[in-house]
Amino acid sequence: MNLRIAGMGWVTPLGRGIDHVWEQLLREEGAIPKPISDSVSDKSYSAFRVEADTLRGLPPHPRLRRASAISRFAVAAGLDAITCARSTIGEVDTGRMALVFAVSNGGVIYTKRFYHEVIESGAQSASPLLFPETVFNAPASHLAAILGAGGASYTLVGDGAVGVLAVKMAADLLQTETLDACLVVGAEEADWVLCDAYHKWRLIKKKPPVLLYRDPPAGMILSEGAGALMIAREGPVQIDEIDSGGNFSHRRDAEKTVQETLHRLASSNACVVGSANGTFIDLAEQRALEKEMPDAVVYSAKAALGESVGASAAWQVIIAAQALRAKQLPPSAKRSAEHPTGGGFSCSKAIVLACGLSQQVAALRLSI
Amino acid sequence: MRTINDLSGKTSINRVAIVAAGIVSPLGFGLDETLSGLKSNKDCVLPVSRFDTAACRSKTAGQVLDDRLNQQLRSRKHRRLHRASRIVTAALEELRVQDPDFEPELTVVGTTSGGMSFGQDYYRALHRHNGLRKSPEWIANYPPQKPVIDAQEAVGVSAPCQIIANACASGTNAIGHAFECVRSGRHKRVLTGGYDALSELVFVGFDCLQASTPEKCRPFDRERSGMVLGEGAAMLGLENLERARARGARILGEVIGYGISTDNHHLTQPDPSGSGPRRAMEQALQSARRAPEEIDYINAHGTATSFNDAAEGKAIQELFGRVPVSSTKSMIGHSLGAAGAIEAILCLLALQAQLLPANINFRSADQDLDLNIVANTYREAKLSVTLSNSFGFGGTNASILLQRAPA
Repeated sequence: MNLRIAGMGWVTPLGRGIDHVWEQLLREEGAIPKPISDSVSDKSYSAFRVEADTLRGLPPHPRLRRASAISRFAVAAGLDAITCARSTIGEVDTGRMALVFAVSNGGVIYTKRFYHEVIESGAQSASPLLFPETVFNAPASHLAAILGAGGASYTLVGDGAVGVLAVKMAADLLQTETLDACLVVGAEEADWVLCDAYHKWRLIKKKPPVLLYRDPPAGMILSEGAGALMIAREGPVQIDEIDSGGNFSHRRDAEKTVQETLHRLASSNACVVGSANGTFIDLAEQRALEKEMPDAVVYSAKAALGESVGASAAWQVIIAAQALRAKQLPPSAKRSAEHPTGGGFSCSKAIVLACGLSQQVAALRLSI
Repeated sequence: MRTINDLSGKTSINRVAIVAAGIVSPLGFGLDETLSGLKSNKDCVLPVSRFDTAACRSKTAGQVLDDRLNQQLRSRKHRRLHRASRIVTAALEELRVQDPDFEPELTVVGTTSGGMSFGQDYYRALHRHNGLRKSPEWIANYPPQKPVIDAQEAVGVSAPCQIIANACASGTNAIGHAFECVRSGRHKRVLTGGYDALSELVFVGFDCLQASTPEKCRPFDRERSGMVLGEGAAMLGLENLERARARGARILGEVIGYGISTDNHHLTQPDPSGSGPRRAMEQALQSARRAPEEIDYINAHGTATSFNDAAEGKAIQELFGRVPVSSTKSMIGHSLGAAGAIEAILCLLALQAQLLPANINFRSADQDLDLNIVANTYREAKLSVTLSNSFGFGGTNASILLQRAPA
């Protein structure tokens, strides 16, 4: 495989712009969670939200007039990745470009609003404006319309591993000569109902800080945003391998699937950008890493950025690519004493390890 | 469409066999019942039994019978699963019985709404501040990948899952992508298909858009008034033809072409010119290196909405002339993410049984469309290649070509 990352863009609770967010991560600055509540309950949670001014400058396209937050995040990140790719591989012909979206919960805000109206006022009051925005592929459709891209467009759904599976799909699509590039976008929006659902699933902690690699795990904080990767045959960062991983039945089995996946990608001079988020994932990853790559430098951004589910693996890939380019990783929650910021980073490869909350594991390895 | 195996430019095109298939739809459980349903031109659309439709215009859907589904409950765990998991499991079990040696490297499945009704149960319980005891169970079984992982576990398969949610084109997109993965040589065996279970939220959604009808579903009819929803699952085992032959697998048919396009006209309405569907169909023909005259039957998307049938009909008419066309949604409703996969299996059965499935409830032709509709009763015919269309919200268009099994 000769696939490369030609451009990247992200919208995060720490802001937008690869360098802007990266520098904050290097300084160990984290986003500040905001309280999130809902009229259906007295319970309140915290979530890492994208600030409104982060999306300033989006094109005034009619498709964005009523679009949900997830679509706006996706469009902003996607357009940034295209702009970035222009500086590395030149103009991208959207007629020879495919779109692959990765989402987990999709347009949950409009979905909840739509169903709330159904419950409150009856089916006859349901809004025909909201329903189309509830479909998983609405964000992909909006971005395609803005770009004028009329070719292949896929939306994949899954858990935190879905972003890696989307990169795998891009690699498969780029097997055809009819495509030059594939824009992979992972996106998610946060809502109270998701916080409550994950809380009932015993995965959420209500207030910061997010503590990684603790036994027992203390819980995660939900996040939102988007990450976009322009995958092409040229570009500064190479995708060495993509492993579709596997599924685990129970949380207690996650470690085995993570270890098997990691085993196939392990490399002596690779760092690992993991998916530890303060839940059972941390221990599964930690134990698998101890067995397969005991000396690896490991970093997870989820203490700083939260768990953005559908967007999270795209963010991990961006961090891994940035680490290889900048030859440094932000300080690691797990191994900061042994590997302080900026000092002694000698990795030429980076593994993105994505273990999701709902049974999926996948990984990929980058090199420079 | 050529594929690249490496940057040296070496190309590879492998033939892709369907080695096993399983189906659950309102027509029945399994290939035999489904074929029998096709031959009886069965109208499976009934009043919705799963939720209250009193406030909706439309009140009917094609539904999978619960008593049949419940016969398959084997354990307490199975009972806790979402209905979608049980539907997918039943389809996958049939596939597995046909070819127990089929071990997929990858699974690509389409859906639109996963375990949506559990999401509804959870939100309703939140809203009434009562009955949340079961919420962890609902939440755990809500994600769209869960029914596929559950079904794989039930039959002893463990392959990574890519779940495509391209609205109503999801099932055809899944088969198309799986086909390309095998054809390019990247994978030897891919499990694919689609599923969806009826849910109130989606039912009300189509109702509020006035896309669904309170009457019969009459695709391509002059007086068509909208779609009827459905549900079900269909799974197909795709394998490199040579490898399948080498291990002595039974070849049910071949997938020979796939096309995909995006229509940016509107989030929910196709460009009236039919350009989006036309591009998908043209691409599928190019991919298969077939001419329009070589197509013997088209299983249309044919939702019976005014906009879809006009745009699709125009594209079919321009590209294929008087090729026989039917929309089997007239019999079973529109099963959304499952539709493309179910219709692929209906094409497979049509190729095997040499028949053209009927477009039932058809009364009079749309004067703007010159189509050869297989009206009301199935017809016997010589078929070698069929085309199946699926189009969805978001402007996704997908077409696949299936060919009769090689002698």
